[in-house]
Amino acid sequence: MAVLTPTKSTSPAPAPPRGKRGRGAARRTPPLVLAFVLIPLLAEALWVFWPALQGFYLALTDWDGVSAPTFVGLDNFREMAGDDTFRSATWHTVLWLVLFGGLSAVLGLATALLLQQERRGIGFYRAALFLPVVFSLVATALVWQAIYQPDGVLNQVLSSVGLDSLRHAWLADQDTALYAVIVPALWRQIGYVMVLYLAGLKGIDPALYEAAKVDGAGPWQRFRHVTLPQLRSVNAVVLSVIVIDSLRSFDVVWSLTRGGPYHSSELLSTYMYSTAFQSLRLGYGSALAVVIFVLAFGVIASYLVRAFREAD
Amino acid sequence: MINQQPSRRRFLAGLGAAGTAALLSGCVTSGSSGKSSSGGAVTLQSNLSAPQAKAAMEDLVAAYGKKGTGEVSLNTVAAETFRTQLPTYLTSANPPDVYTWYPGSVADAYARKDLLLDLGEVWSSPELRGYSKALSGLCTATSGKKVFVPTTYYWWGMFYRKSNFAKWGVSEPKTWDDFLDLCDKLKSKGVTPIGLGAGGNTAWVASAWFDYLNIRINGARYHRELLAGTHRFDDPEVRRVFDRWQEVLPYFDPDGTAVAFQDASTSMLNGRSAMMLIGTFFADAAPKDALDDIDFFRFPVIDPKVPLAEEAPTDGYFAGARTGRRDEVIDLMRFLGTAEAQEIYIKGSSGTVLPCHPDAKDAGTPLVVKGRKHIEEAAEITQFFNRDSSDALQPTADNALTRFIAEPKSIGSVLTTWQRDAEKIWNV
Repeated sequence: MAVLTPTKSTSPAPAPPRGKRGRGAARRTPPLVLAFVLIPLLAEALWVFWPALQGFYLALTDWDGVSAPTFVGLDNFREMAGDDTFRSATWHTVLWLVLFGGLSAVLGLATALLLQQERRGIGFYRAALFLPVVFSLVATALVWQAIYQPDGVLNQVLSSVGLDSLRHAWLADQDTALYAVIVPALWRQIGYVMVLYLAGLKGIDPALYEAAKVDGAGPWQRFRHVTLPQLRSVNAVVLSVIVIDSLRSFDVVWSLTRGGPYHSSELLSTYMYSTAFQSLRLGYGSALAVVIFVLAFGVIASYLVRAFREAD
Repeated sequence: MINQQPSRRRFLAGLGAAGTAALLSGCVTSGSSGKSSSGGAVTLQSNLSAPQAKAAMEDLVAAYGKKGTGEVSLNTVAAETFRTQLPTYLTSANPPDVYTWYPGSVADAYARKDLLLDLGEVWSSPELRGYSKALSGLCTATSGKKVFVPTTYYWWGMFYRKSNFAKWGVSEPKTWDDFLDLCDKLKSKGVTPIGLGAGGNTAWVASAWFDYLNIRINGARYHRELLAGTHRFDDPEVRRVFDRWQEVLPYFDPDGTAVAFQDASTSMLNGRSAMMLIGTFFADAAPKDALDDIDFFRFPVIDPKVPLAEEAPTDGYFAGARTGRRDEVIDLMRFLGTAEAQEIYIKGSSGTVLPCHPDAKDAGTPLVVKGRKHIEEAAEITQFFNRDSSDALQPTADNALTRFIAEPKSIGSVLTTWQRDAEKIWNV
């Protein structure tokens, strides 16, 4: 209330009409409100925007993290064009985006549809599916590492059902490492996406389904013509989340394979980390970070622009 | 309401003042040439996070505290975090004072950037005067400054359990041919002859095989030059290393690149595999009752004309040049260089390391006595792949060697890729 009190006028004045007073307050932003906006903005600028801008600058330098950076222009990006590991990391990232992102969206929606109706004990299943989200991804990775060990649970199960020929060093084989790493990431992400879709499904007016039923629409038609269009806004959120999560997927891969064996599960994020902090090529690592940023921003921005255009 | 406004203003003013102060201090800190605050306890950043090693470090710090000349605040950080953060520690404005780390090329790289404290005063003190010339050289930077205080070292060798070798009726080999015969015999008995442990987060263990084959075939000098970038990884000399490795590769544990060295050494102790090329640090995780049963033999001689070299990495401490507690650091370093300090550490740890001080007593077990003799008989000592080159070069070796183990026939492409990756590191 004190915020809205005019500060300049000290003499008592007749109370202005409601509408006029509102417009006057909107014109003169009180300093307290300004402070609440500017102080966090300053903090954000110092702790987020400034380091991000520095990252862009570092991408144009050669830097070992100890000596002063040397400006090299676009050399890092030129090197990237001929870097086989960068190419395979990009391909793996695309594969990750499609498999991890696609499957988590599809399976998240499927589980949400399955668990949307209020039935006895449904909360247990929802909680069980959401539980992996609560665990740290590094802890999750350690558990899965034990599962994938040569004498781990997975190989023991395969042996016990007579599938000895399928026994495998899952994380140490270049043909299986990437897919083996996707599974724990997916296991965790499905519950998260499910919750987003559950919230979306709760927001759909039941009258639409009633009307569709009256018109003779079957379950598939109701899903296609009622559920999916109604979930459009949730889809935008889910897409943003999975694109960002795909491009920043790092912890699970790093904990399980470190991008190996010999780069076979390397993602852009792990390649960026190993280049910057293991090989101490922080300039090249920053250039990789810029590429990741551009990819994430590009995919999300293009989708959102299209989504808004359709909405108009 | 009247009372609330001034208090809110006061709150905001306070918040603003605190924020400004924090920002200013941040600016000052990041812009200053950097000196850690003087006085108070010396901060000792340690990467020795294995339970026994950590406990031994705590004993050491307590013993220094009892002397009454200064105090140490020990900060133990996981080895991988420590390694990646080390450049940041050393270049930060308010760095820790003393660090556990490696001498030789690794320390020299930091010394060349003026990030390490000159420890000449420590080296001229009575505590370090008796150290060997070799150790003195190892701790001297290119500039001639002493930058490191060595405290312990350990050796690499082919470790095995005596009782298992007796059970299988086999004995230690001397030459490469003896070694291949031994592997054949073990394989015929259904035992995996060689454990590796280059999976998980310990792919670097495979570098020991590269190091040893290279120093046995091309010699320690060539090995060091290769790691410094004087030779190429796709040279015929390096190819010969892998030709020999291919002879023994069929005897390796097929899960060698799938399990970490800790699991591989457990397999060896349990008799699932027969032997392992490893450093004595694996004993930190070995059960105490198994320690007396552990033995080792020298990596077989391949070419008798090549001077005998062994891997014996040295550990110890250096200090950041930006420390604000120079005198206190010097005092601590002098203590760490004493026989007394090194004995305290050895007593508290698994006891398989050797002290650097000539008067310090080792654990005295038959294993340690044999280890000491093993090092003394060597014509040359190497450290380890990353210590003789750089931490930055290690990932290139990890990729090349694990790929070679999986696809030995692709050795040509493995070496070309390794050289290309290494050049990027050398050119930084």
